[in-house]
Amino acid sequence: MNYIELASQFAPELILTIGALAIMMIGLFLANSQKKVLGYLATIFLAVASLVIVCRGIYDIQMEGILADSLTIDPMSQFFKLTFLVVSLIVVIASIKEYDGHQNQDEYYTLILLGTIGMMVVASAIDIVTMFIGFELASLSTYALAGFNKKDSNSLEAAVKYFIVGALSSTLLLFGLSYIYGMSGGLTNISELAVFFNSNPTVLQSPMGVIALMLIVAGFGFKMALVPFHMWAPDTYQGAPTVISALLAAGSKKMAFVAAFRIFLVAMIAIKIDIAMVFMILAIITMTLGNVVALSQRSLKRMLAYSSVAQAGYISMVFVVMSPEALTGGILYVMSHAFMKTGAFIAVAALGYMLLKENSNAKDVDHLDNFAGLGKRSPFLAFSIMIFLFALAGIPPTAGFVSKFILFYSVLQGGFLLLVIFAILNSALSLYYYARVVKYMYVLPPSSDEKLKVPGAYALAILLAIIGVLAIGIVPEPFVNWAANAANVLGL
Amino acid sequence: MDYVLSLILFIPLIGAALTLLFAKSRESARMVAFVSSAISFVLTIMIYLQFKSGLAFLEFQFIDKIPWMDYMGISYYLGVDGVSMPLILLNAILCPLTIIYVWGENKQPNQFFALILVLQAGVFGVFMALDFFLFYIFWELTLIPLYFLISIWGGPNKDYAAIKFFIYTHVASLVMVLGIFALYFSTGVNTFEIPVLLQAFSDIASPEMRVGIFLALFFGFLVKMPTVPFHTWLPDAHVEAPTAGSVLLAGVLLKMGGYGLFRVLLPMMDGLGPYRSDIITLMAVLAVVSILYATFLALAQKDLKKMVAYSSVAHMGYVMLGAAAFNYMSVSGAMFQQFSHGLITAVLFMSVGVIQHSVHTRIIPDLGGLADRMPKLAFLMMCGFMASLGLPAMSGFIAEFMVLTGSYLTLPIYALIAMLGIVATAGYHLWALQRAMFGSYNEKLGEPHDLANFELIPMAILVLLIILFGVYPGSVMEMFEYASKIIPGVMI
Repeated sequence: MNYIELASQFAPELILTIGALAIMMIGLFLANSQKKVLGYLATIFLAVASLVIVCRGIYDIQMEGILADSLTIDPMSQFFKLTFLVVSLIVVIASIKEYDGHQNQDEYYTLILLGTIGMMVVASAIDIVTMFIGFELASLSTYALAGFNKKDSNSLEAAVKYFIVGALSSTLLLFGLSYIYGMSGGLTNISELAVFFNSNPTVLQSPMGVIALMLIVAGFGFKMALVPFHMWAPDTYQGAPTVISALLAAGSKKMAFVAAFRIFLVAMIAIKIDIAMVFMILAIITMTLGNVVALSQRSLKRMLAYSSVAQAGYISMVFVVMSPEALTGGILYVMSHAFMKTGAFIAVAALGYMLLKENSNAKDVDHLDNFAGLGKRSPFLAFSIMIFLFALAGIPPTAGFVSKFILFYSVLQGGFLLLVIFAILNSALSLYYYARVVKYMYVLPPSSDEKLKVPGAYALAILLAIIGVLAIGIVPEPFVNWAANAANVLGL
Repeated sequence: MDYVLSLILFIPLIGAALTLLFAKSRESARMVAFVSSAISFVLTIMIYLQFKSGLAFLEFQFIDKIPWMDYMGISYYLGVDGVSMPLILLNAILCPLTIIYVWGENKQPNQFFALILVLQAGVFGVFMALDFFLFYIFWELTLIPLYFLISIWGGPNKDYAAIKFFIYTHVASLVMVLGIFALYFSTGVNTFEIPVLLQAFSDIASPEMRVGIFLALFFGFLVKMPTVPFHTWLPDAHVEAPTAGSVLLAGVLLKMGGYGLFRVLLPMMDGLGPYRSDIITLMAVLAVVSILYATFLALAQKDLKKMVAYSSVAHMGYVMLGAAAFNYMSVSGAMFQQFSHGLITAVLFMSVGVIQHSVHTRIIPDLGGLADRMPKLAFLMMCGFMASLGLPAMSGFIAEFMVLTGSYLTLPIYALIAMLGIVATAGYHLWALQRAMFGSYNEKLGEPHDLANFELIPMAILVLLIILFGVYPGSVMEMFEYASKIIPGVMI
């Protein structure tokens, strides 16, 4: 394959790389007040990259083992790449208003683009070393972004926590992967690993194999924020700038899922039964603890963080069932959840922005009390938050309902009745705290009668997320087919 | 006429969107709402006139079918038969009348009317859907508008009631989904079409599985109806809901539970094999307990609205009893009871609403002699009460008579016990009427106003319909007769 062909295969990544470099360079020549244009540039680069992916074909594309068998371009990678691109796009659009006039806008947009590239590399990687590098690229960028509001101690705390836990989990993961590398006699390619472990299943059952698996599960557990590895998530999501929380919850966390899909479902299929039990316990405690703790939260960002933990619990049921149907459900759930969570966080960010504009000393702008009477103050914002929350709760006709339906359906198909019952009870429980926010917005009287006008950038970002949530909910067929195609790639 | 069902279904939804977005003033909101529900009414009358009775089991008319998610065998599939037609008619009648009744609504009128229209569309959807996925979507869709109707326009304890209603019925729906999934997987027909699944039900090999599926679905319908001991959400919801919410809740929403019995469960009866008699006993016991327990609770109530709410529970018990008795007469009677109770309970709740509005209390001992100052109300309310206690020449009499006579044929003991309920029913109705309306006027109540025209018209129409169907039940009875005949296994 010559360079031109290679470049065309990785056009989206290249576009973003060029974009990241260009934004950094151009930023040097702009005054703070002019740097807004960098946001527009980042938007354009992300939009073009998404378009390239869409035009390239997302259904039937299949290129194995590019660049020394380290990357692949298949429906699964395209699915996740597009998800990450759209999430970043929404985040960038919302940021244009949020960081208007900020002096570090060039670094900000560069980091978002670099982080997105990292996520896309993870989505494509079929080699554990490449995957790890992608992980680190995305993580390092998001560590900096989480602490972007330097003067805000919460943001710093969020960044430090995220960094320490992230570094720890990377180490665990790397440690575990190095064991795998050693035991397999130097294999890094995931499909080769799968062949090796399938023919030598006893390797993974040896003490060393078990330790390796425990390390990998713990490493991914941190990244996916599964209980008991979730402690960092609420603090980080709450403390980070709200738009970045959206990127973390909808982007970098989902990156961990695509990596885990590839590694656990392919390489570990040989010891399916043993690992299923571990994930069953993890899934049940994750969804239950996430939901129960979310019940008592008064900060909406924290509530969304815990709900994100709970939702990760639903998705991790895929590792228990390990069937193509479950994977389809899981993949669809990842995309739906990305839209719902981005939308919800961005909407909270928009409210925070407007409240701060109204009163620059306002504290805890994401506190539930600030949502009282929002239905009167800003019908658009309240209505969109309602859609995102109902989607998260799984009420039709939204993406949340369709993906929950398909996920639960596939778990039941796999014969895990108990697991589905837990998931369903949890789903019912979660309705309470989602509905409570809706109650605050529509039932309680507002603290002030003044209307809030949602700035255009936020409105556009929220609208994009709503379109995603409703499109998957109302015309699910293409998305389901696409997810099913993506799931087929792993050849379960 | 191909798309007539979709039109009936979507016109209220479009009306709701128009009301919400454009009709900001009270005048335009109620006009748009009334016109859209009136168009649905006219279309419903058109299909009612063209409706052919006497079709076979699972033969549907006005079918509208579009593939939706082929992957799982889900389609957008609407159709009507004798089981659903009367309830569609009921919904089409009640909604415009309710809109007239609340003509004077002042508080956020555009949202209020929009929610009523969404509710109407959801209920239409439940009665028309022939695909379980679609059925479930509409089933859940009805929760949202009622949740808002209670939590925004409700009484002092509205938060508690709204959330309780939401979570209670949502949990029941989720159990129902489990049943639907189980049905789908164990029949292996790879479609969610209700007719196909019903026919395949008896082919499921394991009888325990069949009973499990039956019970999961049964639970979903049981809570919705509601049957003792799963009724506790209903009195709370009724007491706190605004009158329009109560009317639609008791008038059409509870009927969804009963509809589920006839549409889904009775056709499955034959497939239950050895467990059939146990299930019938279970249904009969639940029915009789509901009738007696709710009747005695109603007897003890001081709050007029709570009394009517408990009487709803009792009256829905007759529906269950008729279904359990499972013969031609009892089942037709039970279906007729659904229709007739929808009309009667609307009059009762409207009467209570007028009293509340006019003298600001519903506590029976505080009322007295209202007939003096409110003769029109007294007359219509008396008609409603007489119909509710089952006075001959009113529709309630025909329905209960048929249920009890029919039940006596197959479940004599239960029928006899249920008849005890009739005596107490007459007791609390007459007692409440006597203490609230007659005797000397309680001067503390101030100067009440009698029915305004917008209250008089819907109540008068309802009373006329109650008498019409009481004197000449043939007009709808024919449909129920055929409908009960086509349910397999119903004994003549």
